[in-house]
Amino acid sequence: MVATVLRLKYTTVRHQLVREWWRALLLIGGAVWSLSLVPAVVWASVQLLDESAEVRADILLVVAAICIAGWITVPLLVTGLEDTLDPGRFTTFGVSAKQIAPGLTLAAFLTAPALFFTGAFVVLMLSWREESAAALAVALVGAALTVAVMVLGARVAVAWSARAVNDRRTRGVLLLAVGLALAVLGSVVWIALRDGIDSALQYEAQTLMEWLGRTPVGAGMAAAESATYGRWWSAGWRLALMAGTVAVLALAWRDSIAHALVNPVHRGGGRRRRADAILASASDLPSDGTSGASRWSRLAGLWRADEPTRAVRARMLVSWGTDARYLVAAAGVITLPVIFFAIAMPVLGLDTRWAFVAPVMLAASIGWGRHNDVAYDHTALWLDIVSGSRGRAVMAGRAQAVLVWAVPATLLAAAGILAWTGRWYAAPGLVGATLGTLGATLGVASVTSVLLPYRAPAPGENPFGAEVGSLGASLGAQLLSSAATMLVLPLVTVPLVLALTVHAGWGWVSLGTGLVFGAAFLLGGLRLAGTLYDQRAGSLLARVS
Amino acid sequence: MTQLGEGRTQAMALRALTKRFGATLAVDRIDLDIPTHSFYGVVGPNGAGKTTTLSMATGLLRPDSGQALIHGVDMWREPSRAKAMVGVLPDGLHSFDRLTGGELISYAGLMRGLPKETVRERRDDLLAALDLDAAGSTLVTDYSAGMTKKIGLACALVHAPRVLVLDEPFEAVDPVSAGAIRRILQEFVASGGTVVMSSHVMALVERLCDHVAVVGHGHVLAAGTLDEVRAGQDLEARFVGLVGDIADQRDLAWLRQS
Repeated sequence: MVATVLRLKYTTVRHQLVREWWRALLLIGGAVWSLSLVPAVVWASVQLLDESAEVRADILLVVAAICIAGWITVPLLVTGLEDTLDPGRFTTFGVSAKQIAPGLTLAAFLTAPALFFTGAFVVLMLSWREESAAALAVALVGAALTVAVMVLGARVAVAWSARAVNDRRTRGVLLLAVGLALAVLGSVVWIALRDGIDSALQYEAQTLMEWLGRTPVGAGMAAAESATYGRWWSAGWRLALMAGTVAVLALAWRDSIAHALVNPVHRGGGRRRRADAILASASDLPSDGTSGASRWSRLAGLWRADEPTRAVRARMLVSWGTDARYLVAAAGVITLPVIFFAIAMPVLGLDTRWAFVAPVMLAASIGWGRHNDVAYDHTALWLDIVSGSRGRAVMAGRAQAVLVWAVPATLLAAAGILAWTGRWYAAPGLVGATLGTLGATLGVASVTSVLLPYRAPAPGENPFGAEVGSLGASLGAQLLSSAATMLVLPLVTVPLVLALTVHAGWGWVSLGTGLVFGAAFLLGGLRLAGTLYDQRAGSLLARVS
Repeated sequence: MTQLGEGRTQAMALRALTKRFGATLAVDRIDLDIPTHSFYGVVGPNGAGKTTTLSMATGLLRPDSGQALIHGVDMWREPSRAKAMVGVLPDGLHSFDRLTGGELISYAGLMRGLPKETVRERRDDLLAALDLDAAGSTLVTDYSAGMTKKIGLACALVHAPRVLVLDEPFEAVDPVSAGAIRRILQEFVASGGTVVMSSHVMALVERLCDHVAVVGHGHVLAAGTLDEVRAGQDLEARFVGLVGDIADQRDLAWLRQS
């Protein structure tokens, strides 16, 4: 069965390569890039050789902790990673988890990233070779177990998150837990760095690492140090802890496979909704396309809100509230700003004015994150296409549904940062830059989502998975939308920088440029996207399915 | 404007419609005339190009070449006008499944530009007529295959189109609901509408349709009134004669239970 599963994987990959030649380029490019890192790893290993055992162990521990954190979070944040062997795909074959788990596990270890990390950690461990043969052996075993924790941890994290996020009861708990974890992380970092980075490195960091060395995160790395000094008991229980963790993760992974085999994710849980949210959103005025007196269009004042636009907006608001794929996307946007604010800023010892970047980053994450918005409709978008030339309504409704929550969210973030820094004089500048960024990035994203849609998880599918065959297209679309975003961002952010560095008066300029350019890019983007949508209606369905 | 004159009696006219996917020629210069006020069946083996053809005729898939005229209006030149006349039920595509059945019908109605009150009335009528009253407040994601078909049909009907294009409308639908759908479609045709329906079930096509086209390998193999196409045989025999039976009728001896 192991061989069958592995053969299945490589046959699938081979067929993809044959069908889409650019995939081979990507594969080769990725391999070259990985290989180009090899000298760096070897260099690091040589440098570690000169360090004392304590320092070496500490450095390796931090590296392992970062790698484990990366392995567990990246697949959750970056959807579209490879999922040829998603256990859910095996449901119809009548196999048991016991039969396919070994094959799936082995396949997980035979992916390029897993192999690269294994190799890299083995090379790094060679820096223990001058201590003693026993220390080197312990280090190698510890490294192997650490990589196993990464690979299995990533699978379990994705499987559990998919389960939690698709279950109404656990979804709230999950979001709460994520928020709580971020809050704790942020406050720990801030408290630790209250007295400056040097004191933190001296005291708190030492304590933290000592503790990490007793957890599955760092025990595999700390074991070698114990072995160097002949503390065999200490090295032994650390390796045992790692082995136990790997065993528990393997069991959890098998349990997740077993669960996925008999619980297809696409169910709504028998929820009922009496009120018609779509009809409720419709205007009571006669629909002549210019119902300018309606509450919404007066509030926004910027774009038309005819019946189709309202219907799309109402539909998208339902999705933002209930669809796991959108919930994951909404939760993901806070990652970058939080990492920047809670980790990068204190670690780099940046001036508090840098905190103003966080709300702008949040706005940019939200806007850029919509660069594949249309594809999330999957083949359901047939209904929009057959309804006539509704491109403008479709794109405007989608953007409005995002703005409904994104404007309050970014303004809240901006207010929080203003309160934290106490620089209330910069309020107009920050508000302008934040809203301008939101508008500009959403405008750009709406165009790329029509121009370069790539396959997204279908409704009800694992929100962390991707359809096979999306990697190259997604990379192209992501690069292009990032580049376009980078081009327009200075227009709305430079005045804020000037306000903070040159003269506070620039803040009002920032408010002006932010609102004007933000609205212009949004409206222009939506208009263009709507026209493109109608022009490309005949090929959109094929592109997203 | 010659097309208009020619197309006026045709609810749908396909002219040399062609679609190629990579190396496969899925639809090869198909010509088809579907008269107004007809109940037209399109039959063909799996992979014959039925769905591709209907997708090109309804604006879901751009043809490589050729024309699709709806009451004389070119679907790909004037999509807004053409689409307004057509109600579509595709096969095997998702629907916005976070909405309830009732919401999905409302959505379809509002997207067609109907006023709110009209949408409300028609939504309730359709839910009742298709026996979806109880399911109207359930999410579409929890629907069975047959219920999904019925809600899709309701979405296709909500704007009272002149032409209905239905891909496998009776698949997975229970006999009671099938009876209801049949009555709705027959009344629609009797009142002057046109139904184009694809199906694998020959008995159903013989019972419902007055015209039929047999499609195979991207070509129209035979088309016309039911009697013309049948040519004295029953439809199934004629169909097998046209598309060819399975060449290797191998005996699966190992499947026998004793």
